[in-house]
Amino acid sequence: MSGSMQDKIAQLENYIMKKCLWQFHSRTWDRKRQNERILGMTRQLLLGEPVSTETPEERCYWVDAVTMAEAFKVRCPWLADMSREEIAGLMDGLYERIDFLTVTGSLNQELNDQHY
Amino acid sequence: MPYHEFKCSRCIPERKQHAVFKGKGETITDALPLGYLNTIPGSISERGCAYCGAKHVIGTPMKDVIHLSHGPIGCTYDTWQTKRYISDNDNFQIKYTFATDMKEKHIVFGAEKQLKQCIVEAFKACPHIKRMSIYQTCASALIGDDIEAIAQEVMDEMPDVDIFVCNSPGFGGPSQSGGHHKINIAWINQKVGTVEPDLLSDYVINYVGEYNIQGDQEVMIDFFNRMGVQVLATFTGNGRYDDLRAMHKAHLNVLECARSAEYICNELRKRYGTPRLDIDGFGFEPLGSSLRKVGLFFGIEDRAQAIIDEETARWKPELDWYKARLTGRKVCLWPGGSKLWHWAHVIHDEMGMDVVSVYTKFGHQGDMEKGISRCEEGALAIDDPNELEGLEAMETLTPDIIFTGKRPGEVAKKIRVPYLNAHAYHNGPWKGWEGWVRFARDIYNAVYSPIHRLALLDIGKDEIPTDKGFETQRMLSDADLPDEVRNDPVLREYTGKYNCLKDLRKKTYPPFERNVLAEAV
Repeated sequence: MSGSMQDKIAQLENYIMKKCLWQFHSRTWDRKRQNERILGMTRQLLLGEPVSTETPEERCYWVDAVTMAEAFKVRCPWLADMSREEIAGLMDGLYERIDFLTVTGSLNQELNDQHY
Repeated sequence: MPYHEFKCSRCIPERKQHAVFKGKGETITDALPLGYLNTIPGSISERGCAYCGAKHVIGTPMKDVIHLSHGPIGCTYDTWQTKRYISDNDNFQIKYTFATDMKEKHIVFGAEKQLKQCIVEAFKACPHIKRMSIYQTCASALIGDDIEAIAQEVMDEMPDVDIFVCNSPGFGGPSQSGGHHKINIAWINQKVGTVEPDLLSDYVINYVGEYNIQGDQEVMIDFFNRMGVQVLATFTGNGRYDDLRAMHKAHLNVLECARSAEYICNELRKRYGTPRLDIDGFGFEPLGSSLRKVGLFFGIEDRAQAIIDEETARWKPELDWYKARLTGRKVCLWPGGSKLWHWAHVIHDEMGMDVVSVYTKFGHQGDMEKGISRCEEGALAIDDPNELEGLEAMETLTPDIIFTGKRPGEVAKKIRVPYLNAHAYHNGPWKGWEGWVRFARDIYNAVYSPIHRLALLDIGKDEIPTDKGFETQRMLSDADLPDEVRNDPVLREYTGKYNCLKDLRKKTYPPFERNVLAEAV
């Protein structure tokens, strides 16, 4: 399927918001970390770059990232036709969008509570 | 403006911020109901209290424990025969409930003596049980009884017993959710790290936020055992007290109900470095994906895949039989907290049902973010609804069924809307592939029960048809089905056993693998 970059980001966003839970941790700092690590690893996986899974923490992020990368490939066959630069741009746009939905644009008043 | 004002709540204008329609193309950044706030005076809430959230939801599923409420006997009423968090030790924690029976004289003179006497008496009455949880209530909190001191005194005198104290009085939060938080933190502060467990496998997890409703936990433990994964502790359904003291030794915390138990996972991550993996245990695809994630973490994803393939082949034709008959049916998904997001997408994807409303009694805005994201456009999301709002929503949305608790469920029946008990289930377990088919069967039985056709007739004003004879569910559900679906040779109704746990409890597994990783290094 072709379509604008925005449409493509929307398809990936839809998958994340419907199928995933990792983006909804309860505090701003936690969500930022989740988004950065998991989407960052997904980006690396889609670009065929090595991903570190040395620590249990990294391995846990990787589990969500690898599941998502596989799902993206199955659901969005157009990914196979994209260049590395395009995939990088797509994932940067997705990261920005998920950060907006869950952090910067979120209406959740508990996100900045000092306590967990 | 997507915020929704109920006609019945115009006299409580603050309520408008608690209900939102998910409009076309709108996201959770356009509107989000307020949540986890004190119930507005004048609104008859369906919530429980913080004591209930601590004891009745999280504490009491622990199976080898005397659960003692330090308060008036009424506080403990709801524990006896009304909960369905069963256990494989003959349901000790459901069969017996304990309270110190505080009365007016104790409010005046203190109830510490009474408490100590009750603790000792309870241990003597149940000599095979050596663990106890004591739950503070509003009454004992207000008079300031020092429960910890009494518990310590007893532990000093009876060295073979161990006691956990949970200070979560009813007023300790806007809803039961405040109690979830308090007991999570109390447990990790008092008990985690006080027992060193036997690690039997290279793959060790805590299964957190799972309460063994009608056997859900036992179904999931079967999958983990089949994968060779040792479940060190379950927080807390069918869980053992001493196993839960050893939670710090697991390699991974697998979190199901984030609403009630994310706090202990977050603390375990902070204090012990154990990562937190959030999963969905309901529905074929989400459960398969969850098991695969656990497998991936340990490098044994092929074992998860084998289970997924086997279970899907066995149960998919049965799920699809129900899906063919439930597609397009409207449901109000009105549980307490986490099930609004565990189920919102998957009952649509896998059973074809349309979620017309989600609500939460005690969820936070984070739960609404998940639930609204997962449900379809047009759904009405409501936080902490009152009874009149629930009635108004049912009258306008005309659902075919609602999934909710027993109190709002009985209200629904009055206006002839069938309900399933989302908290305690009807014919569970509902987790696992078989469980998901059992859930579909319960929905089917409720939606197509001929009794609801009869109940819709009001003998005071409706004409009672005398030309119609006997009707069955099948006659009602199949009336409009195309022949090829009705006669599909592959699809079939549920063929499992009435009690699917009986065989599970007898099942044996190969020994866990231990030190394979260490030897490899």
